[in-house]
Amino acid sequence: MPVIDISHRKKFLAKGNVYLPHIVVIEKIIDETPTVRTFHFNFKDEKLRKEFTFESGQFAEFSVFGIGEAPFCISSSPTRSGHLEFAVQRVGRVTNALHRLGVGAEIGCRGPYGNSFPLDFLQSKNLVFIAGGIGLAPLRALIWNVIDNRDKYKNIDIIYGARSPADLCFRYDLDSWNKDKTVNIVTTVDKGDESWTGREGFVPQVLEQVAPSATKAVAIVCGPPIMIRFTFPVLEKLGFTPKQVITTLEKRMKCGIGKCGRCNIGNLYVCRDGPVFSYAQIKNFISSEY
Amino acid sequence: MTKKINKRDIGKLLTQWNQEFAIFVPSKEGDTTKMTSWDGKDVSFLDWYRNTVIPPKASFFPPLEEMFHFQKNKGSYDLELPASDGQKKLIFGIRPCDAKALAILDMIFKDAYEDPYYLSKRENTVLVGLGCTNPYDSCFCTSLGSNPSDSANVDIMLTDIGDQFLMEAITDKGKSLIANTSGLDDATEADEARAKEAQETSYRKVTKRVDTKDIEERLLSCFEDQDYWEKVTAKCISCGICTFLCPTCYCFDINDELVKRQGVRFRSWDSCALPIYTKMPMENPREEKWQRVRQKVCHKYEFYPMNFDVIACTGCGRCIRQCPVNWDITQILASLPVKV
Amino acid sequence: MEQRLRTEAKTLLEQDKVDYIIGFEPGILKFTTTPLITKDKDDIDRLVINSFIANNLANFLTELKGRVGIVAKGCDSRSIVSLIQDNKVAREDVVILGVPCPGIIDLSKVEKLVGKDRDELDDIAREGDKVVITTDGKRNEFSITEALFDNCLGCELPTPQEYDILLGEPTSPVAEIAASQTQIARLKEMTPQERWEFWKNEFSRCIRCYACRNVCPACFCQRCFVEETEPQWALPVPKWQDNLLFQVVRNIHVAGRCTDCGECERACPVNIPLRSLTKEMYDIVSDLFQFKAGMDKDAPPLMTHYEQEEAEDLVR
Repeated sequence: MPVIDISHRKKFLAKGNVYLPHIVVIEKIIDETPTVRTFHFNFKDEKLRKEFTFESGQFAEFSVFGIGEAPFCISSSPTRSGHLEFAVQRVGRVTNALHRLGVGAEIGCRGPYGNSFPLDFLQSKNLVFIAGGIGLAPLRALIWNVIDNRDKYKNIDIIYGARSPADLCFRYDLDSWNKDKTVNIVTTVDKGDESWTGREGFVPQVLEQVAPSATKAVAIVCGPPIMIRFTFPVLEKLGFTPKQVITTLEKRMKCGIGKCGRCNIGNLYVCRDGPVFSYAQIKNFISSEY
Repeated sequence: MTKKINKRDIGKLLTQWNQEFAIFVPSKEGDTTKMTSWDGKDVSFLDWYRNTVIPPKASFFPPLEEMFHFQKNKGSYDLELPASDGQKKLIFGIRPCDAKALAILDMIFKDAYEDPYYLSKRENTVLVGLGCTNPYDSCFCTSLGSNPSDSANVDIMLTDIGDQFLMEAITDKGKSLIANTSGLDDATEADEARAKEAQETSYRKVTKRVDTKDIEERLLSCFEDQDYWEKVTAKCISCGICTFLCPTCYCFDINDELVKRQGVRFRSWDSCALPIYTKMPMENPREEKWQRVRQKVCHKYEFYPMNFDVIACTGCGRCIRQCPVNWDITQILASLPVKV
Repeated sequence: MEQRLRTEAKTLLEQDKVDYIIGFEPGILKFTTTPLITKDKDDIDRLVINSFIANNLANFLTELKGRVGIVAKGCDSRSIVSLIQDNKVAREDVVILGVPCPGIIDLSKVEKLVGKDRDELDDIAREGDKVVITTDGKRNEFSITEALFDNCLGCELPTPQEYDILLGEPTSPVAEIAASQTQIARLKEMTPQERWEFWKNEFSRCIRCYACRNVCPACFCQRCFVEETEPQWALPVPKWQDNLLFQVVRNIHVAGRCTDCGECERACPVNIPLRSLTKEMYDIVSDLFQFKAGMDKDAPPLMTHYEQEEAEDLVR
């Protein structure tokens, strides 16, 4: 298995047991769309509140006690301290339970797990962010990180799509990126409504129209599997090599640490060796299993 | 330090060890067999025991395990780990294939974050191996770098030499236990010669084979061959038997139960054969049966070797013996359509 | 019978009357058979019919797309008919190759009879109403009724009633009804408390492999209630209470569909006597509604059909 160094993270273990969550408190809830909510949270324990660190792209396991546990990426950027965020789409048992919670509720949290976006590799490159729906959540943890260290990176293109205008997440981010002259952002929806004046079309198609240059560029992709499947070939057409394409994947997970088995792509585990992968790493196995 | 013991004295030996250890021996529950706590008397397993249906992994990684308890108090939660019994355990009669399986499980449970539940039990347990004299026709351990007398993964190894067992200490744990055990005789050269002969006889009794040469490459080359996988998996019924009873399968699920204000988080066996294992609300990457069986075969013979340099199969044959449709992994491995 | 089967099966494939043939071929292990599901006429010569063709092949019908020629013993044919009644299988899509079945040999009974494991036996042969088990070169004769599966002893339809091709002469039931219900009779003699303890003990062994559900032709749901999470009817972990709940609900769901083929009990890797539940339900259904699953393809299915005059009895 690829060797991973988690020694610096072991200090975050509750009672030395990797499966035992810490208690975190929900501090704020933002309705992003009819089915997506962002939760601002922080540790109940003062010491952890100060010491907890993570990197853009990492995730944590959150639990509603008595209902169960599910993984969510930490959607805030480590460059912005004060609180942590994760965004939840209401789709199943745990996410429904999370949506029923209010400010002040206690939930379990263990992590951070997984790898993170390769900041060193991204430095001095043109960055093309491609996201669909709630897939913007992990990317925004990186986008804010990049914007907060703006001089380290070259051009920033963001292509973001959702099913409908009502399904666009993080509108407050979209607004500030729109205003930021150092960021090119294109927003699209599969199907607009009467008030929608922006682009219509699926993300891969819009990507092909926008046609960002592959020269000294890296594409960072996150969205539903169907979007990812159709985005890879377009990027290839635009001249991006598999190494120039980075994605962060979602699979059903339980343990979050590479043991329970279900999130593998070939010999790699999305929770342990990912969730951030280069397309080069996974292309052997991804075609028929993602 | 090779010793021997009369078979009729095994009860006495276990009684002696029972002072220090909780002893687990092969036992019958109806028609099912597994390692269970010794009742202090019965050693009849010496007559019927070939291998248990439930693999000994269950002693370290049980089908159902409490990870922690939680209590709800006005919206706050107190979490509590289960108390460890601290009891030292001894498994008597583990077969070489199953002991090897534990060595394979150690790798995943030690990887990166240590798994406290499995490892604490493992560290607390002495394995006393018992070589096979009567392997099943479904056994194929000799194809996987082991054999019916393999002592590589136990603390003490017993070999049947007729009326007696030859008893070898393999690890330091085993050596110190034997040093502190009374009533053992020193083995003679003749005993050792008899043991060697018995081991050779057992080796020859394992006739089933798999060819593991270039197996990773062979599996990779037909990974996308949907027609092949569909054909060889047509009769699979997608139950969890082969994985649950596999001594090296370690997949698990995590679930909560909350009754009134008391809750438990459980870990339980899970299986890549069940569709729900990978099911997400919108998609299932392994919706089809052939994809799931492919995962099972590739995980054992391709992915695990890529990660840990060992095939995650010990040739114990349980998946073949217990399959309701008599699906046979060795047939699959022999029939891979290799593309050069 | 075997030769006739091969000829018929080959013809069906050659004349493009079916897309698949489902039958049995010898298993790798001694005295076993394994389902053969094929489109390839070169595979047909591997088809066998013998005393070990235990699987209920009707189970595969709901997942195969296309027309299927299927080998069916009496109980299997009832499962096929039941699937037809439930609109899960179209009659015109199956060619039933009926096998008059004098009962299937239960290897675990054979092992007990001679005190040896299956792979230690030289031969198991059925000779009329005897079974001859040869071990270490020695013949051991037993009455066949000692070696057949419990459900075969009480079989009500050894020869398929619904078939396209009948591969042999009709055979009569073994009709050892009492012997087929030994376990159930034992349970009925218990006090409720004893029975509860019995099942608690049995279901403590369950590992939730779902083999009982997955071998069952009557368990054809795309999504099983036990896997639902909103609401979660039973915990998806092997706690005995939830194991029992799963099995009780499964039983209710297969009531009027279960043909007493015995597959659930045969498949169970930890030997829980599941047929004691399904057969009891079978008898209850039979008494209460005078309904036996899979006997008449034109009869409406029991649980999705309601008769006005049932009201009084049903809502008591």
